[in-house]
Amino acid sequence: MMTAIRMRAPSPWLVPALLCLLVLVALVVWPLAALFYQSAIDPQTGQASLQGFQTFFNTPRYVQAFFNTLILGAVSTTGTLLLGAPLAYVVARYDFPGKTVVALLPLATIILPDIVVSQAWLMLLGNNGIARHALEAVGIDLPSFYGWFGMAFVLILNDYTYVYIGMLAALKAIDGTIEEAAVNLGASNLRRALTVTLPVLAPALLINAMIVFTLAVDNFSIPMILGGRVDVLSSLTYTTFLSEMGGNPTMQSVLAVVSVALVGFVLFVQKRVVERKTYQMQQGRAPQAIRARGAAAVALTSCAVLFVAFSMIPAVIVLIGAFTKASGPVMQYGTFTLENMERALRNAPEPILNSLMLASVAAVAGTCFATITSYLIVKKRMLAVSLLDYVVMLPLAISGTVLGIALIHTYNSGMIILTGTWVIMAAAYFVRKVPFSIRSASASLYSIPDSIEEASINLGVPPVASFFKVILPVMKPAILGAAILMWVTSLAEISATIVLYYGGMETMPIQMFRQIDAGYLARASAYGVILMVVIIVPIYLAVRFLKLDLFSSR
Amino acid sequence: MADIAIQGVVKRYGDTTIIDRLELEIRHGEFFTLLGPSGCGKTTLLRMIAGFIIPDEGRLILDKQDITRMPAHKRETGMVFQDYALFPDKTVFDNVAYGLRVRKVPAPQIKQKVERILERVELGHLAQRYPGELSGGQRQRVALARALVIEPRVLLMDEPLSNLDAKLRIQMRDVIRQLQQESNITAIFVTHDQEEALSMSDRIALLRNGKIDQLDTPEGLYSRPRSAYAADFIGAANLLDVQHAQAQGEYSLVTIAGGRVLACGAPMEGGQQLAARPEHISIHREQAADLIPAEVVYRRYLGFKAAYAMRMADGKIVNVDVPAAADPSHPAGTPVFLGFSPNCCLVRA
Repeated sequence: MMTAIRMRAPSPWLVPALLCLLVLVALVVWPLAALFYQSAIDPQTGQASLQGFQTFFNTPRYVQAFFNTLILGAVSTTGTLLLGAPLAYVVARYDFPGKTVVALLPLATIILPDIVVSQAWLMLLGNNGIARHALEAVGIDLPSFYGWFGMAFVLILNDYTYVYIGMLAALKAIDGTIEEAAVNLGASNLRRALTVTLPVLAPALLINAMIVFTLAVDNFSIPMILGGRVDVLSSLTYTTFLSEMGGNPTMQSVLAVVSVALVGFVLFVQKRVVERKTYQMQQGRAPQAIRARGAAAVALTSCAVLFVAFSMIPAVIVLIGAFTKASGPVMQYGTFTLENMERALRNAPEPILNSLMLASVAAVAGTCFATITSYLIVKKRMLAVSLLDYVVMLPLAISGTVLGIALIHTYNSGMIILTGTWVIMAAAYFVRKVPFSIRSASASLYSIPDSIEEASINLGVPPVASFFKVILPVMKPAILGAAILMWVTSLAEISATIVLYYGGMETMPIQMFRQIDAGYLARASAYGVILMVVIIVPIYLAVRFLKLDLFSSR
Repeated sequence: MADIAIQGVVKRYGDTTIIDRLELEIRHGEFFTLLGPSGCGKTTLLRMIAGFIIPDEGRLILDKQDITRMPAHKRETGMVFQDYALFPDKTVFDNVAYGLRVRKVPAPQIKQKVERILERVELGHLAQRYPGELSGGQRQRVALARALVIEPRVLLMDEPLSNLDAKLRIQMRDVIRQLQQESNITAIFVTHDQEEALSMSDRIALLRNGKIDQLDTPEGLYSRPRSAYAADFIGAANLLDVQHAQAQGEYSLVTIAGGRVLACGAPMEGGQQLAARPEHISIHREQAADLIPAEVVYRRYLGFKAAYAMRMADGKIVNVDVPAAADPSHPAGTPVFLGFSPNCCLVRA
């Protein structure tokens, strides 16, 4: 007879869950733990020691870099909110001629990697910039572009679209009837906006503020190219990494720990505050957009065009630069040559091939991983999966440079040696981009009812096979979209690459960075153009033929 | 012959017992309904039979075979889900063919079977549509066809009509019942709608807190409820406090506030109440033997009938229905006398 003892058969998903967890432990948890350990021991004696942190707090350069990072983050956050939030409000609530061009903004953030944006604005406003000379001619003297001006300017221009995209989504999710209720109860439009709309948007504003703050702390290429003598944590970590090469890695570990702590703190605050302040809102129709007329319409249209123009300028500048003759660092604008492009395509195609190979490996591995992980997180609750849920978002708290340093030190000795191989580079891209893929795959899974999987099982298909036969096909558009985004953002990755690459394994952004560093802006432009083309083509194909909506879940 | 036997089944979640030592036998070809309010355990029981929930104790027998621990995909049950659970990326044809393809049925036969079942649910012309392009009633019929086409050992339906509008719901009752009888298949139907249960079922198990409160035919359940719970859940009977009850053959002489009435059922130990359906009470102007005095509180006109609320001697409000043709149109405040038909019965409190 059957006894009353419960015999729970192990879930067929336990093994995949443990494998996914193992991958993340190997690529994130363990390297990060090793980094923390390294920062807190004395390299000579191997004893526990806070010597490194003492040096950090006693050295003005380090402390200054820490505060500079905070200031840059605050300035960038304020600037992006001031640009992005009103733009989102106007686009959500008003109709005006030419409104559709604003749809180009999310596209701009993807096809224009920050290194391209930095370089383009350098060509315009740098010491020999065309725009600088033009303004000087009419008597306007700009401050030097190297330093706070350049960093804040490019960072804000580069990141405000994230605020715009986030706030637009939040505005569209508002149930219009709550505003109608406020008006019906006698509130004026201004009062309604301040007492009903703004409080409901507050959590979204906060989330987006935190996101752009972490992006600013995270950014590597903008402070490296435009920082001048102003140190921030990301650039200082890299220069410390270079100077400690071969020596003991204490200070780079300390700097890395400080920036992880900073971003970790911000993400923690975000989670606590947002969780407490998120409201349950009934799904309703968003308020109808109001048609703007007359002067208002003209103002709105020109504003929108200006925003889009500013975001697209880098593409134009880099395109011009790529076909302009240059003697060393001096650009001869007005001339035309194919020499730069030819050099990049024919004489030095390795970086292009390297970038394509690495991005493809990372995207394929990352997509498979994200599909299974998001399925486990959304649909299969068990202990291993709850752990996975936490660990998988950990990479968001780690900047690329820190991740790169952590990986290098973990895998340069011992049983598995990966330092100085392409595997470690692909692994870094994988870790950095996979949280975003998991997010969009999860979003699609939440809208798939559990019952269709049960229906398949009920009709005779075993559980794991049911996943492949009914869940996967429904997830396909989201997965493909995530894969393409993972691929194109991996192509533009530089902050981890800069510490991980080795001779012969340069990528397109690395090649650009080197040329910019050496002052060869025309050659850098050529790589920039190729990078943009390689990014645009798959996006165009995806939107055109697969009808993917790439920007909904970003 | 018992087709399905549920033997001493228990399911707990933490401290809450969802199914409490439940015993049940369902006959072959029967249309069997599990009826009850939300949280009574009816869906849990259905999902146990489908294999999505494993009982903590007890056994499930299907055709003399113990299926308690058989994996869900091997049970050969056909389930119709509350939200239909159609595969959104597959056409109507492919949805229905899914179970046949799993069973490696040859393609020509699949085509023939799917077409035949789609004809039967009157969806032959929509075979190439996607679920998103169908109305609620059409989706419902696809779900039904998908479950029936594999010729399952038992058809399981989890509140399949709850997402349809009122008119369609009544139409689909007939469709489902007819398909079930034509296929001569055992069906288990879960609902919280008493009218659905009464109109479709051969037998109904009324569930309460994971136990069967009453297992009966629709007629039995309506005309002879055994408990106040059953009387109230099916057809919303008035429940009156009983001061005394005395056996009189198959009937009892029951003392309630204001007088004595004759009701079916024997007096019972431990709390009892008089269950009186609104249509089993008549209104009189003149006092006579066995009439109970009351006062009109209000009258509602409902077209085919008039519904009165009456206040009894003890202050209790009683609902009384009168056919429109016989409605004396008593205004509020009128003193009246109520006659209780012997169809009213004694029930467990």
